[in-house]
Amino acid sequence: MFNERQLQTLHAAIDRVIPEDEFPGGVEAGVADYLLKQLGRDLTHLAQDYPRFTDALEAEAQAAHGQAFAALEDEQQDALLTRVEQGKVQADWPLDPAAFFADFVEHCAEGFYSDPGNGGNRDGVAWRMIGYEVNG
Amino acid sequence: MTHYDAIIVGAGAGGGVAAGVLAKAGKRILMLERGPRSEFAQVPRDHLRSQRGSFYGHNAGPDIEGNPRTLEDGSIVLPHQRGYQNNAAMVGGGTRVFGAQAWRFMPQDFRMASIYGVPEGSSLADWPIDYEELEPWYERVEWEIGVSGTDSAMTHLPPYKRPYPMPSLEPNTAMRTHMKGLENLGWQSLPMPQFINSVDYGGRQACIRCQQCVGFACPVEAKNGTHNTTIAAALRSGNCELKPGVMVERIDCDDGGRVRGVNWIDNAGQRDSATAEIVIVSAGAVESARLLFNSATKREPNGLGNHSDQVGRHLQGHYYPLAIGLFPERMMDNLGPGGGVATCEFNHDNPDVIGGGMLADDFIVLPIISWKIYVPRDIRRWGLSAKQFMRDRYRCLGDIKGPVHEIPSPDGRVTLDPKLRDKFGIPVAHLSGTTHPETVRTASFIYDRAEEWLRASGAEKVWGYRPDLRLSGGQHQAGTCRMGEDPAESVVDPWQRVHGHDNLFVLDGSVHVTNGGFNPVLTIMATSWRAAEHIVEQW
Repeated sequence: MFNERQLQTLHAAIDRVIPEDEFPGGVEAGVADYLLKQLGRDLTHLAQDYPRFTDALEAEAQAAHGQAFAALEDEQQDALLTRVEQGKVQADWPLDPAAFFADFVEHCAEGFYSDPGNGGNRDGVAWRMIGYEVNG
Repeated sequence: MTHYDAIIVGAGAGGGVAAGVLAKAGKRILMLERGPRSEFAQVPRDHLRSQRGSFYGHNAGPDIEGNPRTLEDGSIVLPHQRGYQNNAAMVGGGTRVFGAQAWRFMPQDFRMASIYGVPEGSSLADWPIDYEELEPWYERVEWEIGVSGTDSAMTHLPPYKRPYPMPSLEPNTAMRTHMKGLENLGWQSLPMPQFINSVDYGGRQACIRCQQCVGFACPVEAKNGTHNTTIAAALRSGNCELKPGVMVERIDCDDGGRVRGVNWIDNAGQRDSATAEIVIVSAGAVESARLLFNSATKREPNGLGNHSDQVGRHLQGHYYPLAIGLFPERMMDNLGPGGGVATCEFNHDNPDVIGGGMLADDFIVLPIISWKIYVPRDIRRWGLSAKQFMRDRYRCLGDIKGPVHEIPSPDGRVTLDPKLRDKFGIPVAHLSGTTHPETVRTASFIYDRAEEWLRASGAEKVWGYRPDLRLSGGQHQAGTCRMGEDPAESVVDPWQRVHGHDNLFVLDGSVHVTNGGFNPVLTIMATSWRAAEHIVEQW
């Protein structure tokens, strides 16, 4: 579904949506695993759009900085994603940047905050972070 | 063909109670349920697919594939999608995964038309029975199914003749905070009555206070539904044969209106049928109406009991105003199930609105639901600010919400879709109309009280969701086979026998004339218990 470059871009974007602090970032917490699982399950209708989204982020990075998205500094990635969020893009986008980004953010949160059985929230790390405990 | 004393269609709250009563009386029963009979492990604790958060599916049926409905705009909706008005489909029905609130309706709830008048365009009406009539059956259900609560706190009701069999659960931090809020306001404060064991009861253990209650099955069976009480007893008696995983296609009725039995299809597509002395329809307000439509005869071409065009009308559920508050301190202490302090201060006697509703704090909110619904909209939804809001403030969120007594409209209704069929080839339900717009005014009034309560509890910031006009039903669905003396204005008589049919009954929320400002399950069980005992007495 994703080639190596696309996967790098995806991972980099996930880690800006859920950045690492004293708790793991999105990728380490399994958000990419969640997303890949969902693209084969409930989000099959986005299986082609997601690689296009990463290509568009990449094109956006090349247009603005002449560099790969994944190679940009955190602040540069954040600024670029903010422009995407606002629909103020420079590259040619095959999909609505703002709408797709909003969905992407929700998918990342689903992976991070839902139960580990869905492939993300590795070992319940997000639940430990927010203080939601499960017993029984 | 096997002949039974009674066939019950649907193993939820109403049908489950009926099975218990009839089996105990020695009647031979066939109980048909379209969903499975699931063990705890077969009701997944999936936070994206549960009866509480149905983002991509749910965990208690019906199957997502093959069970569509259609809406007024022509769209086809699946069971987990908005507008479907889903209720769980499994043995125990909604009681398997409910929040287990065990509310009695108030005396006024049975007399809405007399108290408030009938707004133009609405079908607001009085029930043919009153609180006094139902009171012994409420009590019966509270003891037989098992309810924890504090009768002396129920000051909005006539004094209880018998207390609850179990004391209320100990309050958690959020409840104690909200109790202070009520005290500050001088509003009634009561611990929510719950079908939850606060102590060992009914041969099952006390609640372990876990954090995944509403929307999920209980890991220790401390949540009392019909699956672990009346249905379990019926099966133990040897008088009840339970067939899960079968869909009833039609009720077979002779030219004189006497019901002979039912036909069903199993998941492998095999058809079968049985006959019985009586048939009890307990499939929930949408599916019970659908089955009556699909059982049309030459004598009743529009469906059994539908000679007066009443079947399927007056569909009701509850509007839920939801106010959310951000508190300076932690509210969430992980002591489940959460949701436990309520007020009935605004169920009636409100200025310039019809009826009202109970307000209460909510169950522990699952993290992903908190993210999607509770996080303030001015928090940027990505980056460190979003993550750290959840880290620092998830536990500081509190909420007040409640079921608003809906003002029914005859146009809010279930009919049959003229074309679309389910996986069994049976015509599906079509949903159209809305409740009466007066409901929106009442809901808005109740929303304001919810905000007021949160502020009095100490919330530093309050926001929320004020309901818009829409069709309602869902897990609290009711009204589509309303109870009444007059066959021209109702579907069943006060004993829940379908007008014009000696041996056909409806025992579920369909018979509710109005649906109270409360979770309706105790009332579904109480009316069903009363009707089932009457069936036995009259046998």
